[in-house]
Amino acid sequence: MTHMHIPDGILPVWLWALGFILLSLFLGFTLHRLRTMDMKKMIPLLGTLSAAMLVGMSIPILPGYHINLSVVTGILIGPSLGFVAAFIANLILAFMGHGGITVVGLNTLLLGSEAVLGHTVFYLFTKRLPVFWRAALATLMTLFITTTILIGIVAMAHIDPEMLHHGEDHGHGTTGQGSVSTFAMLVLTIGAVGWIIEAAITGAVVRFISQVKPDLLGHVLHEKKTGE
Amino acid sequence: MIDVARIDHWAASGTGFFHRASVISKMLFLLFVVAAAVLARSPYPLMAGYFGILLVAVLARLPWTRMVMLSLYAVVFALLYGISLRGGWWLFALLIFKAITPSLAMLTLIVSTPYPKIFSFISAALPEMLAAGLFMTYRTLFILLELMDNFVAAIRLRGGFSPGSLYKNSSNISKGLGMLLVKAVERASRLYAVMAVRGYNGSMAQQGGGGLHREDYLPLGAGSLVLMLAILWR
Repeated sequence: MTHMHIPDGILPVWLWALGFILLSLFLGFTLHRLRTMDMKKMIPLLGTLSAAMLVGMSIPILPGYHINLSVVTGILIGPSLGFVAAFIANLILAFMGHGGITVVGLNTLLLGSEAVLGHTVFYLFTKRLPVFWRAALATLMTLFITTTILIGIVAMAHIDPEMLHHGEDHGHGTTGQGSVSTFAMLVLTIGAVGWIIEAAITGAVVRFISQVKPDLLGHVLHEKKTGE
Repeated sequence: MIDVARIDHWAASGTGFFHRASVISKMLFLLFVVAAAVLARSPYPLMAGYFGILLVAVLARLPWTRMVMLSLYAVVFALLYGISLRGGWWLFALLIFKAITPSLAMLTLIVSTPYPKIFSFISAALPEMLAAGLFMTYRTLFILLELMDNFVAAIRLRGGFSPGSLYKNSSNISKGLGMLLVKAVERASRLYAVMAVRGYNGSMAQQGGGGLHREDYLPLGAGSLVLMLAILWR
């Protein structure tokens, strides 16, 4: 669950604006890479996996933690399309009031990097390892890395409560400097348990798909269009 | 999030002021409220904005009780962030209203505008593939939700959920999710094939949101008011 449910107006403008700039660059690059793919195969898969991510995000497995299925998405449809799916899922989430609109850029970068990293790590693992363990370990490693990036982003953005008070003494019990370590501790504590559950679910889902419909794992999307 | 089907019903079936307003005016309304949340340094203008939007929702006969409940979902995450900042109640109030005021504005938009209209408006600025992906995701979401309902009913009837057996439950849920994905891919592929046969070429039939008209005074007025409050009340 490495996307930020931070509302609009909390993060500094430079940070979310940078998020949108980076998102445009990555999205442009991925769309360029996808231009040769067969739309008939690509669009239904893109829609299905983006929708699956949205459904996954509606299943709370721990208080404050839900699964994303972003690694499954990356493994099944590849890094480029996985990144696009992450953008679509985040845009629709924002249009449901689930997280701010201004954080769509940063959230897509986080969720998209899960799809990209998950795919890369899954295919880096030796095929002698059972599919379940390849997917589960890829999920664990990916979630650890992206959660660390999330904490980094919050650390960069962390706002002094005094700044939000606009220099006035409201006398309402502010205790002073904000603490990134508290945030990191909260996220890592809840996250560590969540990663294991999500890794187990991802491993089992990928294993099931590899048994029932292995062609979904076979990168059919990267074949050239028929007749080309 | 699972209220998507209900939101879709409200958006498609209402006839109030907000339903009659153009998409562009409602998008501007949302933009103004988000800008207000970004600019606000005090919870009071956002608090006033929240209750103002609520009043507008009541006047426009929108499902305001459900909208309030759904907007409060954002409170959980704002609180988590507030705890990490170790601020007092003033900071908590600011964070909470920064979360729920744009959330209520967003809900006002989506319960009064069918998603295809929103997507067609956004599609004017997006590459064709993203527009097609957005639309397909929206369609597939309903397929997945229906499959999920069936799956949950089936697994309960067959004794697939057993309290205390984490391994068995996880295994069944994972197999269910895998099956959902496989079925959803098949159904989405069929749906796309049917759409392609009927002439769908990746672009929306109606793009853009049309121009402004007389009934846009409510969203434009409400949005401007919230933004002005945030600018003046600093």
